[in-house]
Amino acid sequence: MWRTGVVALFAAICVSEPALAQTRITGSVTAGDGSGAVVGAEVTVSGTKRGAITRDDGRFNIDVAAGTYKLIAKRIGYAPDSQSVTIGMGKTVSVDFTLKIVAAQLGGIVITGYGQKDVRDRTGVAETIKEKNFQLGKITSPEQLIQGKVPGVQVVTSNEPGAGISMRIRGGTSINASNEPLFVVDGVPLPVGGGVSSGRNPMNFLNPADIQSITVLKDASAAAIYGSRGANGVILITTKSGVQGASSVSYSSSYSSSQIVKKPDMLNAAQFRAAVTQYAPENVKNLGNANTDWIGAITHTGAGAENNLSMAGSKDDMRYRLSVGSMTQNGIVIGSSTRRESLGLTYSDLLMNDKLDVRVNLKGSRALDTYAAGGMGAATAMAPTQPLKNPDGTWYQWVDWLGANNPLADQAMISDQGSTYRSVGNLEAKYTLPWVEGLSATLRTGFDFTQASRVTFSPSNAQFDIEGGRGGRIDKNNPRQINNVLEAFATYNRKMEDLASSFDMTGGYSYEGSRGDYPSYYAEGLSTNLLGANGVPGAKVEQNYLNIDESKLISFFGRLNWTLKDRYLLTASVRRDGSSRFGPGNQWGVFPAFAGAWRVIDEPFMQKFTMLSDLKLRASWGINGNQSFGNYLFLSSYTSGDNKAMYQFGNELVTTIRPSAVDPNIKWEQTASSNFGIDFGFYNNRVTGTIDLYSKTTKDLIFTVPVPAGTNLSNYVTTNIGSMKNSGFELGLSAVILEGKSSGVRWDGTLSASHNANKIISVSASGADKILVGGISGGVGNTIQVLEAGFPKNSFLVFRHKTGADGKPVTGNKTDLELYVDQNKDGAITQDDKVPYKSPDPTWIIGHTSNFSWKNWDASLTARMHLGQYTYNNVASTLGTYRALTGTNAPSNLQSSVLKYGFTSTQYFSDLYIEKASFLRLDNISVGYTFKNAWELKSLRLYGTIQNVFTSTKYTGVDPMAGVNGIDNNLYPLSRTFTTGLSVGF
Amino acid sequence: MKNSIRSMLVTASALLVAAACTDPTVAPKSTVSSANIFAEESSYKSFLAKIYGGLALSGQQGPSGNSDISGLDEGFSQYLRLWWQMEELPTDEAAVAWNDGPIQELNTQIWAASNSFLGSMYYRIYFQVSMVNEFLRETTPEKLASRNTSAATTAAVKTYRAEARFLRAFSYWNAMDLFGPVPLVKETDVLGTEPPAQATRAAVYDYVVSELNAVRNDLPAAGTAQYGRVDQGAVAMLLAKVYLNAAVYSGSPHYDLALAEAQKVIAGPYTLDPNFQRIFAADNNLSPEMIFAIEQDGNNIQTWGGMTFIIHAEVGANMNAGAFGIDGGWWGIRTKPSLAALYPNSGGPTSPDKRGRYLTTDGFSGSMTNLTDYTTGIGVTKYTNATSTGAPGKNSTFVDTDYPVFRLADAYLIYAECVVRGAGGTRAQALAYINALRDRAYGNTSGRIADAAMTSQFVLDERGRELFWEATRRTDLIRYGLYSTAGVWQWKGNTLAGRVTEAFRDLYPLPASELVANPKLKQNTGY
Repeated sequence: MWRTGVVALFAAICVSEPALAQTRITGSVTAGDGSGAVVGAEVTVSGTKRGAITRDDGRFNIDVAAGTYKLIAKRIGYAPDSQSVTIGMGKTVSVDFTLKIVAAQLGGIVITGYGQKDVRDRTGVAETIKEKNFQLGKITSPEQLIQGKVPGVQVVTSNEPGAGISMRIRGGTSINASNEPLFVVDGVPLPVGGGVSSGRNPMNFLNPADIQSITVLKDASAAAIYGSRGANGVILITTKSGVQGASSVSYSSSYSSSQIVKKPDMLNAAQFRAAVTQYAPENVKNLGNANTDWIGAITHTGAGAENNLSMAGSKDDMRYRLSVGSMTQNGIVIGSSTRRESLGLTYSDLLMNDKLDVRVNLKGSRALDTYAAGGMGAATAMAPTQPLKNPDGTWYQWVDWLGANNPLADQAMISDQGSTYRSVGNLEAKYTLPWVEGLSATLRTGFDFTQASRVTFSPSNAQFDIEGGRGGRIDKNNPRQINNVLEAFATYNRKMEDLASSFDMTGGYSYEGSRGDYPSYYAEGLSTNLLGANGVPGAKVEQNYLNIDESKLISFFGRLNWTLKDRYLLTASVRRDGSSRFGPGNQWGVFPAFAGAWRVIDEPFMQKFTMLSDLKLRASWGINGNQSFGNYLFLSSYTSGDNKAMYQFGNELVTTIRPSAVDPNIKWEQTASSNFGIDFGFYNNRVTGTIDLYSKTTKDLIFTVPVPAGTNLSNYVTTNIGSMKNSGFELGLSAVILEGKSSGVRWDGTLSASHNANKIISVSASGADKILVGGISGGVGNTIQVLEAGFPKNSFLVFRHKTGADGKPVTGNKTDLELYVDQNKDGAITQDDKVPYKSPDPTWIIGHTSNFSWKNWDASLTARMHLGQYTYNNVASTLGTYRALTGTNAPSNLQSSVLKYGFTSTQYFSDLYIEKASFLRLDNISVGYTFKNAWELKSLRLYGTIQNVFTSTKYTGVDPMAGVNGIDNNLYPLSRTFTTGLSVGF
Repeated sequence: MKNSIRSMLVTASALLVAAACTDPTVAPKSTVSSANIFAEESSYKSFLAKIYGGLALSGQQGPSGNSDISGLDEGFSQYLRLWWQMEELPTDEAAVAWNDGPIQELNTQIWAASNSFLGSMYYRIYFQVSMVNEFLRETTPEKLASRNTSAATTAAVKTYRAEARFLRAFSYWNAMDLFGPVPLVKETDVLGTEPPAQATRAAVYDYVVSELNAVRNDLPAAGTAQYGRVDQGAVAMLLAKVYLNAAVYSGSPHYDLALAEAQKVIAGPYTLDPNFQRIFAADNNLSPEMIFAIEQDGNNIQTWGGMTFIIHAEVGANMNAGAFGIDGGWWGIRTKPSLAALYPNSGGPTSPDKRGRYLTTDGFSGSMTNLTDYTTGIGVTKYTNATSTGAPGKNSTFVDTDYPVFRLADAYLIYAECVVRGAGGTRAQALAYINALRDRAYGNTSGRIADAAMTSQFVLDERGRELFWEATRRTDLIRYGLYSTAGVWQWKGNTLAGRVTEAFRDLYPLPASELVANPKLKQNTGY
């Protein structure tokens, strides 16, 4: 329906007539440090009342009469500049200013939702990280760029190539809905979690080399303009656009190599044999004589390469940028890899007398992910006494089918590949309305299209298929998703001298529609293995599924910025969202926010404090929502059983149907946040910093909770119950630590520190209950965490070990009663003896970046520290017990903690497995050399980077970062990556 | 001026676009709602199949993936599996070697109210109840008429409704047997969140009895229903079992009524299966002894619970999984020496009572010295996914073997017990029934007993031998007063030798989570 509207609109815009010739001064204001456009600079024509404020791209237009003028450009934080200009009747003259920054670090803009602001004017908590401060080295997805760079932002990666990434901004606000922030790429909001993919990470579609800046909106005020989706913060990604000037070409290329630094700590052949001899003598007969390093056998050095080529330039008012990129990364587990080819195009132009600013942004990519079959799971479980191959050259396999399968055999036979084609683009038209000064209207349409495919093929001679008598399998999932966005908003800027005020208002409408088609196909008992994943010539069992999911989000939003006397700043915003996820009566939610700031430094009385160069106080309050969960939760529906869940009446197989249990009144989760902050600068802003204190309370948490039995159609219903609080503190400091003017040595450093405390206030109507969460591997239905009022979310719920005479926990081959504290003293160790103990979220996250430069050399390092973080070592709890040696004729290898604890039966709920996972990691160090004026190139830089230089931790698992929710099942080895590369500008 | 006009047009059209899309409602595409599901008349049968399937399956995707209830692993939470475990694991008949969740607490009678297995059974029961209630609400004559339902369907639905009510009574029987005083939620209670009031155990008993008597005449005569569905034979059998335990459930014994219902079953077309093994094999749907079975099918009725669990979990050690028609044992459940002692020679391959030949010490230690080591204890080979002729079932993971809920032998034993307890009937007839079972067990008349031997204790022991691992042991022991404060077997009370436990263990606790969700509930004494 809106498509017609868009077409009509553009038809209206495009049928334009040549405008009357005007006498005009046009130009741009850019920052002296090369950081780009200066927005909001005041350009005045001396001696007249004429003037303009620079736009988002730093450009301005002033209509004047013919004559000679003095033009003055001013912006706080920059040294003013003036130029003389002579202009003839009906001519247009271009004047460009480059303003020198007087206050270090203060310059630059912060992108906000539907606009941008100078840092000095921000009221909410938003932080922009620009390209020059991004993480370096082998970066496969955008989120990694700001890892360790922004206080209050936790970025958790795993070690697989191109792996999915979890982000938490100021702790998670939800339990059942997503805790991931909203990603907005060039104004196009992406679906929850970044979208659909058949790869490991949907965000991999975006080439990090195309990104200019990433902004994190952290508090309610900044995120409020995204209303119902802002509760977990918002990540705004701005991609590179064209630059002023003649065409230039940049090329960068890098090669990387990853090596294992840590892998799961399993017994070697001699230790394993000794363990079997002592604890499972009946299985000695099943052991071989080999000494196999299974993990070594399935891993190698992971090689990667990346090449990016871009071309950018301008002609008149038209700017463009074209980029192509390719990236490959092989995992250190053989057969795991990721690969991406990407294309980017941006185009912008000023039309209709510069009144219409048109921008087009297109990104397209193909990501290919291959997954290693068998992989680390089998390699860790496989007994080291068994050989890789039988004497006859065939793969060794246990005779007992309960044993682990030979991972090399699986690697050789099974294929598992995901491909994702995705394109995200938008078209934005901003029209400066002629009849009211300062009023402009923007129309933005965007799309996000994904077509993905994941195909697994397993031949009939793969061990799993032999054991199950399945005769070969193909499993194919082909998700397709399309999202449309239409946004129309108007902005109005007005400076009212008599009120000493300037106003900046934005108001608009947004429509987002999403449709996902999820067809899948499964075949078993293939008539031949020869076609592999490429064809199904015939199969004994074939199954097809199709599911279609649709959702809509419609919003109205508005924001007012009021600046009084250039130092009292006020922002008020509101968004009203209507979501298809809720039933009639609950579809609409209103999300208001207010923020104020006082630029104390600009008060006259501050002038005597010459040491201080900046001081600003900020406060904000607002409500955000969260609706990141499944569609149709409010709707009573009937689900048909599949053909394996039928029932038989006589000889007739009958399909079953089941009515669903729903709460038709389900509504938004709401997070109310308040924030208080100080921005400060010393010594002419050589040292600057920010301190924020915040508190976020989420109510109407969407929980799937037990309902009184018999009152609904299942025992659990997803509804709004419970509340939770996050509160914390953030510090950001940056300083020019060393500035040797004569030696040319410069050292910039930044430090970020954040503390977050989470507490569940209630999880049920009565406020007393607890909900068991955190399913672990090992056993079935076992959970290790609890949501309980008064404790941090996902607190571990464990048995506490008794302390022995030696002061150490009692371990070994003992009964539960001997091992654990009988909390309720009923003489037996039962579920009721488990107590909450520690929680997974770090209490402190500290990040540091240093940049050094000396002549043509530059160097940097980034380090990160998490404190107060605890992780359940699930690998140790499942594999660290002698019990794994018994019960089958194929004993499994053991995790080496068994040597320390000596457990002969599994002790999943032992507090010993709740390990302190605090760590210090040197994320990367990098050194570069820039050739100046070499070989007539514009620029040439060579560099080398080491990622994951070292990690210091007491955690015994592979990686203390492995589980964002505190349960570590990660077996994938931790690696260190060496990258060398060059970038050239022509 | 022209520019201004055009600008206004642009703005106006933008506003128009905005105004046009202000309704966020989206109609689901891949979902059927209550508004249109019964436009297809086959939906009534499908809904009824769901209620039957609730005993056999765990959700809408076989074997797992779309569970009916949440809170516990789907396979573990399956109705039959939980019922079977709660009737067998705390007794002398079985123990499981695994460490999944709090399952070990079931072996030892030390469970806490927070035990998720107990809670899941409670929720399975009420899932069944709420399905039946919803079915009854959706199939009233008024609703059928309003949907212009055909006469044939209307007639069929009348029987469906009786079957649904039978199945609700069946689940309430489980509820009062396991948990005692529970809420009675009926189809007249509307869906909502108002917690239902707790009923006394006797009130639940009365309701079960009245419901079964009410639906009896709407069901086909005994033995005439389609296989898998209930008829008057099933009604009589369930009533017999309910009356047999009436003293426990309501405080007043009704052995006379139990005897009468058992006679109705025996008068039906059922006969003892001459091939005892067939009752527990993949072709047991052909057994003439079967009164009501929970169906399983390797291809179309798949679950990780039910018989898939029982058969896989009993297999391990030196047993040949292939001979059971399955792809591997799960090394889970086995039995205890005190139960084996019920059979001559403590069972094993040389037992003259063939029912004892399902026990094996090959690869097992006999004494259950370690609860979590499957090989300590005595192996059991009773259930199999091979047919009575030895052919494997259709699927080596999911079994074809149906679960025998009610079979004729139980009616014989109920008759005998009621006679011994002096509730009528004749001792001669009772002896004849007992000896009929023993003739089949021994393959000849050598196992026959004399009238003097037919004591109350003998009938209990005979139930142990005949109905071993058929989910009745806990109920039987409680009826005999031998479950908690009397009777000792390995690991009862969490010690290897075993000890007596507190009387309150005769009832399971109401789930801790349910006490929070429903403040009207009072926990069973002792918990």
